[in-house]
Amino acid sequence: MEKTAVAVGDSTKLEIIFSTRKYRSTVKKSPRIKTNEGGPEKRVHISTTMTERPDSTYPVVNTPYKVDMSQFTEKKVIRKKLEITNVSDEDLQISLVGWAEDYFDVKMPESVRAGKTVEAEIVLHKDVYDKSFDKSLTFELSDEKHSRFTIPVKRTVRNVRTPGTRAAGGSGGK
Amino acid sequence: MNKATKAAILAVTTLLIVGSSVAAPRLLLKEESFDFGYAPQNSKVSHVFWLYSTGDDTLKILSVKPG
Repeated sequence: MEKTAVAVGDSTKLEIIFSTRKYRSTVKKSPRIKTNEGGPEKRVHISTTMTERPDSTYPVVNTPYKVDMSQFTEKKVIRKKLEITNVSDEDLQISLVGWAEDYFDVKMPESVRAGKTVEAEIVLHKDVYDKSFDKSLTFELSDEKHSRFTIPVKRTVRNVRTPGTRAAGGSGGK
Repeated sequence: MNKATKAAILAVTTLLIVGSSVAAPRLLLKEESFDFGYAPQNSKVSHVFWLYSTGDDTLKILSVKPG
C-alpha cells in the first residue's frame, strides 16, 4: 500500500501478493479492506488455477514458466526472454492483461500462429536494478476459454558491486 | 405564520444544512476482481488494485486482511 490516507479525488495502489504454495486446482481469495467509510468492509477477489506441470498446459507452453531475473555477480541481469509455443491447432491472439508496471516492461507479441513459437521479453526498469522482488505478468489468449496464464517474475540481488558503492544487500536497499 | 410552523421550518432548515455539510469518505473500486488464470505452484503472483477516494472527506485505509 502506497499510502493509508487518500485525499478526496486521489487514488492509491493496493498490491495483492498471492503465494501459490502447494495449492491444487482453482483457488479463490477475497481480501477485506476496512476504511473509515463505514458500512461493511469491501472486498477484492482474486482467483487462480494451479498447475503442477505448467510447461505442458494447453493451448500454449511457456518456457520458462517461472522467470528468474536474479543477479548474484557483477554481470547485470536486466532482460529475460520467454517463449510461448502454440500447441493448439488455431492461431491465437495474445493480450497482456497485467504486469508490474513499476518494475519492468513486457514486450509481448500480439499473436502466435498454430504450432509456432513466439518470444516475449521482460526488461527491467533502471531504478529497480538493485532491488529484489516477487512480481508477475499475466496474459490472455483468444481461444474459446480466453485462457489466462500468469508467469511469476522473481529477482534476488546479492553481492553486486558497482564503482564507488558498497555491495547491495538481498533486500535491495538503495 | 404561527409559532409551531416557524419552529418546524427552522428544524427542517437546520437538518438540511447539517445534513449537507457532513463530509463522508467513499471508496470506489473500479476493478473488484482479477483472474490470474493458470499459475505454477510454489511461486508468488501479484496484482495491483486501484483504490479511489470519491467521497468528500479523506479516505483512510484502516486495514487490509487476507480472506
